[in-house]
Parts: sequence; C-alpha cells; structure tokens
Amino acid sequence: MTQDVEMKDHATPSHSVSSAVPSTLQHLKEIASLIETGSYSKEVRRIARAVRLTIALRRKLTASVLSSFLDYVLTPGSEAHARLSAYVPKVYVDDQEMEVDTATSAIQTPSKHLLPELDIYCYLLTLLFLIDQKRYNEAKACASASIARLKNLNRRTVDVIASRLYFYYSYSYELTGDLAEIRGNLLALHRIATLRHDELGQETLLNLLLRNYLHYNLYDLAEKLRSKAPRFEAHSNQQFCRYLFYLGKIRTIQLEYTDAKESLLQAARKAPVAARGFRIQCNKWAVIVRLLLGEIPERTIFMQRGAEKALRPYFELTNAVRIGDLELFRNVAEKFATTFSTDGTHNLIVRLRHNVIRTGLRNISVSYSRISLADVAQKLRLNSANPVADAESIVAKAIRDGAIDATLDHANGWMVSKETGDIYSTNEPQLAFNSRIAFCLNMHNEAIRALRFPPNTHKEKESAEKRRERQQQEQELAKHIAEEDDDDF
Amino acid sequence: MDPKLRDVSQLFERFKAAFVRNDYDTCTNLLSQLKVLLTEFRSLPPLFEETPNAVHELTLARDIYEHAVVLSVKVEDQDAFERDFFQLKPYYTDGRNRLPSSPQEYPILGLNLLRLLVQNRIAEFHTELELLSSIALENPCIKHAVELEQSFMEGAYNRVLSARQTVPHDTYVYFMDLLAKTVRDEIAGCSEKAYDFLSISDARQMLLFSSDQELLEYVKEEHPEWEIKNGSVFFQKAKESAPCKEIPSLQLINQTLSYARELERIV
Repeated sequence: MTQDVEMKDHATPSHSVSSAVPSTLQHLKEIASLIETGSYSKEVRRIARAVRLTIALRRKLTASVLSSFLDYVLTPGSEAHARLSAYVPKVYVDDQEMEVDTATSAIQTPSKHLLPELDIYCYLLTLLFLIDQKRYNEAKACASASIARLKNLNRRTVDVIASRLYFYYSYSYELTGDLAEIRGNLLALHRIATLRHDELGQETLLNLLLRNYLHYNLYDLAEKLRSKAPRFEAHSNQQFCRYLFYLGKIRTIQLEYTDAKESLLQAARKAPVAARGFRIQCNKWAVIVRLLLGEIPERTIFMQRGAEKALRPYFELTNAVRIGDLELFRNVAEKFATTFSTDGTHNLIVRLRHNVIRTGLRNISVSYSRISLADVAQKLRLNSANPVADAESIVAKAIRDGAIDATLDHANGWMVSKETGDIYSTNEPQLAFNSRIAFCLNMHNEAIRALRFPPNTHKEKESAEKRRERQQQEQELAKHIAEEDDDDF
Repeated sequence: MDPKLRDVSQLFERFKAAFVRNDYDTCTNLLSQLKVLLTEFRSLPPLFEETPNAVHELTLARDIYEHAVVLSVKVEDQDAFERDFFQLKPYYTDGRNRLPSSPQEYPILGLNLLRLLVQNRIAEFHTELELLSSIALENPCIKHAVELEQSFMEGAYNRVLSARQTVPHDTYVYFMDLLAKTVRDEIAGCSEKAYDFLSISDARQMLLFSSDQELLEYVKEEHPEWEIKNGSVFFQKAKESAPCKEIPSLQLINQTLSYARELERIV
C-alpha cells in the first residue's frame, strides 16, 4: 500500500532549501550538528527538527553523499563505520574525486566519541537510502541491526529517531512480504517502549502492530491488542490518523458502523493534504460504512481532485444502492470484483445486498399505497425459487425493523403502506433540535478548553495591576504624610 | 518410532473405534487422556519446535482435535465445541506452512461459522470470515454458512429453512435445527408487527408447525398476548401511538435548565 509513503512525503516542508547551492552533504552536516546540540542540551525538539529536515533531503541522497557523510560522522575504521558502510555501494571513481576534498577536510575534525543519537541517525539515513534504492533485503538486514542496537539504548533524545526507525523497519519487511516474521519483535519493542515511557515509540509501534495484524486480516487479535494497549494523547498527527484508520477498519468488520464511520471520517479529515493515497483509502471505507448505515454519501466525496478514478467503483456502487436495484448492484459488484478484493472490501460489499433491498423496498413503499407481493418481488428482482414467500418475509422483517411503515395482508397477498404521519406532531423535531444545541455547546466548551495562553501574560497583567495598586498606595502614603505635615503646622 | 507417539496413536485408534460405534462416553474419556498426552509434544503450538517427528505429531494432533470438534457436535456441547475449535485453529493458521492442508478444514470452519450464527455472534462471524481466502469462500461448506447469514439478515427465512435440506455435511444438522428455532422466534416477532391477523392455518404454515395444536401451545407459552378467535390469530399490537399525547415536561425542563446554565457560562 502506498499510503504510508505518501504520508511521509507530506512532511517534506517547503523549506527544502533551494537546490544544491550548499550541497546535500553540507545540509547533512548541519543536521548532524543539530542532533549534537540537541543531544547535549537534551532538547527533543531539536532532534525532531533534524529528522524532519532529513526527510526533505531524502530525494537527494546518493551513495557518494551518504558514504562521505558516514566518513564524517563515524570515525573510519571504527566498528560502527565498518558495519554501515558495508551497505553503501562503492562510489565511482569520478564521484569520489569530486567529494574527496570535503571528505578529507571532514575527517580533520575528529568526533571524540560517538553520540548514540548520531549512531542511530546514521542507521536511519542508510536505511532510507537502501529503501529508496529498492534494495530491500539489505534494508531488512540494516533495519534489524539498528533495532538490535536500539534495544540497548535508553535515552529520551533517541526516541524520535527510533520511532522513525521502527517505521522503516516494518516498512522494509512489508515490502518483501515478510510482515509476520517481525510481529514478535514489534511486540517486544512495544513493551520496551511502554516500560521506558516512550510515548511516541508506543504510538508508532502500536500502529505498526495493528497494520501487521490487519495485513493478515487478523481483526480479532488487532482488536484485543488495541483495547488493551495504553492510550494517551497523540504526539504525532500522522500516527493518530493511522490509528483512527485502523480503528475504523476493525469496527467496520465488527459491525459497529456508527463508531467506524466516525473514526474513518476523522482520519480522512485529519490526514495531511498531500497524503492522497491515505485519504482515498479512508474514503473508500467510509463510503461503504455509510452505505451500510443506510446513508448515501454526498457526490462531492467522489469528485475530489485526484481521487475520481480511484473512487469510481465506489461511486457506481453507491448509485446502485441509492436506486435500490439488485440487478445493477450485482453487475457493479461483478464488474469491479478485482478492485474490491484488492481493497479488502469484498466481504463488506456482500453485506450491502441487504441494504440494497431495503432501499428498494422503501422506494416501493413510498410510491405505492397498496401493492401485491408478487409485484414487490418482481420490482426487487429477487432471483429465488419462491419469490413471493421471500418477499413476504423480507417485507415483514423490514416492517419490524422500522425501515418501512406498512402492514401485510396475507389472505390477499398485498402490502398496504401507511400514511406517513406528521412528523411535527411527535417528539422527533425537539430531539433533533436538542442534539444540535448540545453539539454547539459542546463545541464551544471544547474550543475554550483547547485555548492556550502564553505562560507569562497572566503574570505580567497581574504585576501591572499590582504596580498600579502600589502606586496608589504610595500616593496615598504621600498624601498622608503631606497631611500630617500640614497638621504639624 | 517414538514411544510417546506410538502411545498416542494407539489411544487415538481406540478413540476412533469408539467414535464409529457412537460410544460417546468412552470417546470423551479417551479424548481427555489424549489431550493430556498431547501436551508433552514440543512440536505443537504454541512452541512449534522443530523436532524430528514434528510433521507426524502435528498431523496426529490436528486429527485428534478435528475429531474432538465433531464429537462435541455429536454430544451437543457448544462450549466444548468452542474450546476444541480454538485449540484446533492454530493448526490451520500458523501450521499452514508446516503441514499439508486437511480435508476436514473447510467443513469445520463452516461449522464454526454456523455456530457463531446460531449464537447470534455476528461480529465474530464476520471477523472469522475475513480470515478466509477467496478460494475458501467458494467452498460449499463455507458458502452455505455465508448464504445463510445473508438470508437471515435479509429476512428470507424460508431460504434459511430450506437450506437444511442442502447441508453439505451431516454434522451441520444439529446447528441447523438450533437455527430453525431461532428462525421461528424471528418470524413470530416479524408477523406480530407486520400483520393485523392471520388465519390459524396460515400462521401454522408460517411458523412451521405440523399441527394446530402445536401452534396453540406455542402461542400460549411464548406469546400470551396474541388473541385467537374466529379461526384467526389476532396480534394485539401495542402500537406506540405516533403523535405525542403529553408533553414530556420533566425532560424539557431539564434540557432548558442545562441550556441556561451553559449560556450563563458563555456570556
């Protein structure tokens, strides 16, 4: 699935400094020093910034740049250097000449002892390079080595880089289709992250695990893990989006459509604009869930720029459900069978058949005040041995579930629709009004709760007030003294 | 041959013999002995150790659990079915690469789907369904259960009942009978809402009773509120009158007060 890559790419901020003027290597060195200061001052923020900058440089990463960067950061000949440079192909001669002077000048500033952050960062860079070069088996080896190294490190400043590494670790295994292999390892890492209170790591690993389970359709296990894993406020928006998406999928499978719809729509809305693949996936699922709920998604969902083509099958499906035509529905399901099965939505579409019948029935019930069951069966195009009996029991169930308001007459074999009552004579409008008011009030309260105040303004205001008070007191005192002075006279 | 393995095989042979004789008490006894013996093999899940006899042991264990599942159906013990099925499942999922697939796999998976349907555990039903490949879904045993669920959801109850005649496997009959009871209750519930009245003979046909007497008994026991007169069953519809007669004052007061409170906070 491509969505993850695209999620990542969005992070490519616009400040990917204009072209090669200061070379990529120069940038990398800046990042390295950023990490260094971040590590010494224990500022996670700086490290996070370094990782963000790296992603911006990802496209420009070449073998020569990478190897000279490794030479610069890791002392050549050291164990760490030997390990990592084995993954980088030998640079062509002319390339080497070009880079030689920078490389040698770099070595002259020997790094006294290697910071773990930098060590891990080099792993991340190498891994990125290997994945981009599509050398997945080496990427897997490199990722596993880095994970082994990570397990022994317990520093909060490493966490940010580590969480990226976890992601690429899983990604490299997914690309070769061996996700099941690393499940145990991911679980162990998740446990370690929990013990170390590494919330970003927990968040990332939980998502990776869910992805891992869902990849093999193990919804049961995924739900068990999800409901038991510790939850806290999200640290990263991307991870939160993914979590919502996986949650939506799980709930859809378990028939909790209302909740599923909520999470899927939220995931689609929260996802960054550039994460198109991810948003399309969310929308596909959301469309089906809404159809299953008996809602008809708006046309605008299918007309989003760049998503028309991918959502086309779902658009036609929606159309079939909206009209309530079983024949058309069957045709659409057959026509796009391959799309649906690659999307993993085939079983959900099978469930939709029931909704198609319901919609059809509702249309019939609205348009006819009395209709024979044989006609109902014909209109619904029920292909079965005994259509009238089928139609009868289907209508009966629809009546019981409240989908249509009608009665059956068995002796005459017809269905009599009831007059739709005046909705305004019931409690309904009041309830709807109430829920809207509650929504608005809730929104207001949440907005207030989300307000942030800079820490000092409050104090300053107070001190200004105090100053005024003090001045007043001083004035009064002065007046007092003056009065006393006057009295003396 | 490993002595432990030989013991188990011999015991299993005795179990199978008793099974063929329909001597279920002996079977249950032997089965618990077998299960204890199986715990000594280290090649079985969850360890999956690569012992020299691994394939043989795994196959044997799978065979035993498959029989256990079928046995639980025969003695009509749904809890035992669930237990045995979960013990068997790892052999199908995690043991897939180690073992040749079993001919019993699909019938048993289908049986499990049917059980979930009967127990009305639809969410789990769909979760299990997601695990099956498209090839598995084409299998008659699985397809049977899937189609049942669909007909059940739609309300095409007579299709559910006629499916009893086309069971792919004779162990399915037990669950189909259970399902028939559920279906009858469903039909009764639907008819109550959908019809004003039904003639007794129609009602008998619809609720699948062979005689009027049975129908009357059923009505007396399950739906005492139905009225039988003039050769018809009248459903007393406790129809909730749509227009609201009285104003739900307490609720309204509560709501209005809460609005006032919230507004006060805002202003």
